[in-house]
Amino acid sequence: MANLSIAPPSQPAGAVPRSEKPPRRERAIHQLLAPLASLRLTVVLFVLAIFIVLAGTLAQIDAGIWSVVKQYFRSALVWIPLQIFFPRTMSVPGSFPFPGGWLIGGLLLINLLAAHVLRFKLSWRRSGILLIHAGLIVMMVSELVTGLFAVEAKMSIAQGETVNFTDESQHIELALTHPVDSQTDDEVVIPGALLRKPGLIQNEQLPVDVEVLEFMKNSSLARVPEGETGADIYTTKDGSRYRIVDRSEEKGVDPDQREDAAAVRIRIRKKGTDQVLGTFLVSLWMYPNFTFRQIQFPPQHFQLDGQEYAVELRFRREYKPYRLHLIKFDHSNYIGTDKPRNFSSRVRLQDDERHEDREVLIYMNEPLRYAGHTFYQSGYFPDDSGTVLQVVRNPGWLMPYVSCVMVALGMIVHFGMHLVKFLRRRMA
Amino acid sequence: MNGFSRHLPWMVTATAALGLALVVFFPPEPPGPMKLEEFGKIPVVDGGRIKPLDTLARNTLLVISNRQYFVDNKDESQPAIRWLLDVMTSLMQQKGSPAEQHKVFRIEHSQLLELLGLKPRPGSWRYAIGEFSDKLDELDKEANRAQKLDPKQRDLFDTKVLELAQHLQLYIELAKLRTPLAVPPESQGQEWQPLIMAMFDMKQNGTQNPAAAALGKILIAYANGEAGEFNRLVASYRQLINDRMPQVAPKADFEAFFNRVEPFYLCSLLYVLVALLACVSWVAYAEPLNRSAFWLTVLTVIVHTWALGARMYIQGRPPVTNLYSSAVFIGWGCVLMGLVLEAIYKNSVGNLLAGVTGALTLVIAHNLAAGGDTLEMMQAVLDTNFWLATHVTCVTIGYAATFLAGFLGMVLILRGLLTPTLDREAYKTLGSMIYGIVCFATFFSFTGTVLGGIWADQSWGRFWGWDPKENGALIIVLWNALILHARWGGMVQQRGMAVLAVFGNIVTAWSWFGVNMLGVGLHSYGFMSGAVFWLLAFVGSQLALIGLGLIPMRHWRSVVNPSFASA
Repeated sequence: MANLSIAPPSQPAGAVPRSEKPPRRERAIHQLLAPLASLRLTVVLFVLAIFIVLAGTLAQIDAGIWSVVKQYFRSALVWIPLQIFFPRTMSVPGSFPFPGGWLIGGLLLINLLAAHVLRFKLSWRRSGILLIHAGLIVMMVSELVTGLFAVEAKMSIAQGETVNFTDESQHIELALTHPVDSQTDDEVVIPGALLRKPGLIQNEQLPVDVEVLEFMKNSSLARVPEGETGADIYTTKDGSRYRIVDRSEEKGVDPDQREDAAAVRIRIRKKGTDQVLGTFLVSLWMYPNFTFRQIQFPPQHFQLDGQEYAVELRFRREYKPYRLHLIKFDHSNYIGTDKPRNFSSRVRLQDDERHEDREVLIYMNEPLRYAGHTFYQSGYFPDDSGTVLQVVRNPGWLMPYVSCVMVALGMIVHFGMHLVKFLRRRMA
Repeated sequence: MNGFSRHLPWMVTATAALGLALVVFFPPEPPGPMKLEEFGKIPVVDGGRIKPLDTLARNTLLVISNRQYFVDNKDESQPAIRWLLDVMTSLMQQKGSPAEQHKVFRIEHSQLLELLGLKPRPGSWRYAIGEFSDKLDELDKEANRAQKLDPKQRDLFDTKVLELAQHLQLYIELAKLRTPLAVPPESQGQEWQPLIMAMFDMKQNGTQNPAAAALGKILIAYANGEAGEFNRLVASYRQLINDRMPQVAPKADFEAFFNRVEPFYLCSLLYVLVALLACVSWVAYAEPLNRSAFWLTVLTVIVHTWALGARMYIQGRPPVTNLYSSAVFIGWGCVLMGLVLEAIYKNSVGNLLAGVTGALTLVIAHNLAAGGDTLEMMQAVLDTNFWLATHVTCVTIGYAATFLAGFLGMVLILRGLLTPTLDREAYKTLGSMIYGIVCFATFFSFTGTVLGGIWADQSWGRFWGWDPKENGALIIVLWNALILHARWGGMVQQRGMAVLAVFGNIVTAWSWFGVNMLGVGLHSYGFMSGAVFWLLAFVGSQLALIGLGLIPMRHWRSVVNPSFASA
């Protein structure tokens, strides 16, 4: 084989000749970095990266996209079940450990930095590669920043309504609310993380003790025929009856990408006593924004010291110092079909702190950027009576743009230089 | 001999050009005195866009019959528009409509045939509605049952029952004149409406609607077989439309023309010819055949480009909007790259690539077209925007280049292993061709993927969401980067790169088709439904090639040849 090899179009990156003998300390660094900087390691890491991406895709046949992202991509180690590589009609037990996305990405970063410290001198010939690699570092860091800091939420506004909070659809919380006066409610929330395991939740800020009896990652709403009775049946404001039923997580590959409707069964007790004030099954199905306001259940209540408290499971809510008022939602279809062609929301943005009061039109690909958040037209209530905006805060949102320009430019420079050299050789 | 080599290339190209001109400018005489093709140019609204009746007829037949024409009882092929006219007039016919005798419903599933009391008709598998009209109640019952099941619980029989029920529904909608929206608005602010509604309106409320009345008369003339009257009415109706909607009518005419020419079909034939010429050129008459293949490719790619442009004009969209158009576009990209390679290397490898990939992708596209209208309208979120348009274009070019590198790898392996023709020089040349194409593929797949992220960020604020389609694209980028780094690190040489590039075919096929099958394919049909089978067969063939590529080179026929060592 050896006699077949010709010099590759680019000189092997490790073969940059050194004219003089480096001093001792430099040699020690060299020895330390050499294995970390090797192209062999790069190739191995690429193989691992491809494998984890493939596994993270196949896992989405059974699991939701966000749990896969957390387990496979935003992690250091993942146990991959063998089952994901086989048709689901076969049952294959067992799993094996594998480096997660953040570990592989981190190693690639180290490999890349080591290679640059060791091999690449600043020169015009290498400028393309430098640019590409710098751009890739920006890209990897941006994914890390997104993973750590980005928040995605939704804001549902009915026509004529004013809303000052968003729903973080990847998190849930249990809210206990009671009215103070006609203008304000007093509310205490229990974060979703505490609801996932059965047990007693006690906190001095809570007016009561809350015992979690059962947690459902996802639930479905089943229509109950007239006359049937039984547990967990609830009646909506317009008299339809539904049963809340446990259901497995929605899958990442599902074409219609539904959100999970978590549900939790709780018992409310008077603080520090065994006196039960009520037992409730609360589900996201009862949170009006979850159903685009299409299904409305009356609130569930309990009494404490003569006051009425409402219990609600909802998306984690973040109150904003500003508010949006939906003036008009517009929606048009392609002629003769119900395929949406365009939708837009005319909203009034009011911010007392910053003295903002203006009208904005939000539509497809034309988001509103305000106060570090971006508001996208995302959906609408089925009867066109309101709009759903996707609200995103991602401090790293600009980084991919920067990275893209750097890498594309780098590739043009690098491959372009090769091409020119190659064409010149052929002309000669 | 000398004259032959000099003249062959232009003779081949000119003959092909002449053949194309004949198809384009001399349409086949329609059987019978009625000018059906003129009727086919009438614009209507269906599936969210204005299209000529000819398109509606072809697409509907494609859906229910899997081809764009039908065979009548005298075993003669008939145009789709005749079938449509027969269906649209079926309720006006006094004695049994011919539409009920046209064998167009494709039914293959044995249980379903049994349910309908039909005998298997191998080869054609097409049946007329008149042959099973007495069993429609049974079909309806089964369809209702299947409809109630969760889509994931349906077995193949249920799916086929539902499919046939939908096809019958399409037929009935057309027969009752509820589809398409055939009557244009009378005035500003009005909508297109179905013929039956407009007619009903005229009868009940006495409103005037010249267009609806004219359309009704055309159908009556057809039903009564009055050819002269039919032709006259069609001509005057088209004049009416032309006056009322001067932008719409020419576009519909053009689309009907586009349908008739079937440019992609013509291209696929020519690409096969190119591939043949390139193959033969390795055996004999290398120089003239090679140049013939090159110029024939140039001619074909002009037609291909025109056809892509025509689709963009009709739809008003960037070239890639769905799986079908991605296949057409990937083919186009591959052919162009093949031409560039040929212009640089002149060793007929580029011609072979252009021919094979061009023909293959167009055949794949043809098979993807069975879903109906390939110019369908898109969901609002996929609405045109600069980032989306550049994203799909770049990514598809990236896919094309990755495939091309894989096919080059295939050529290197097969030619070196099985033939003595791969000398040292050709071996090196192929190696550097693969290298160049992989660089190209890396650039476009990376840029395209990132542009997709930017579009997603613009549209819903998430640059990267790790969904199956994005992951597929990422894997292609990573694979190309892997090949390049393995090469730069000296871990692989020409042969190793060829083997890796062939594996790139698997990676690309996965991203292009595989991820689309994850949602439904694995659940409802099991592993062996049509598309999954072809994907697996393709993967198997590529793995076999990789196996061949790993056979030690001392066993390769070309390497054994003394010319390889001495060169």
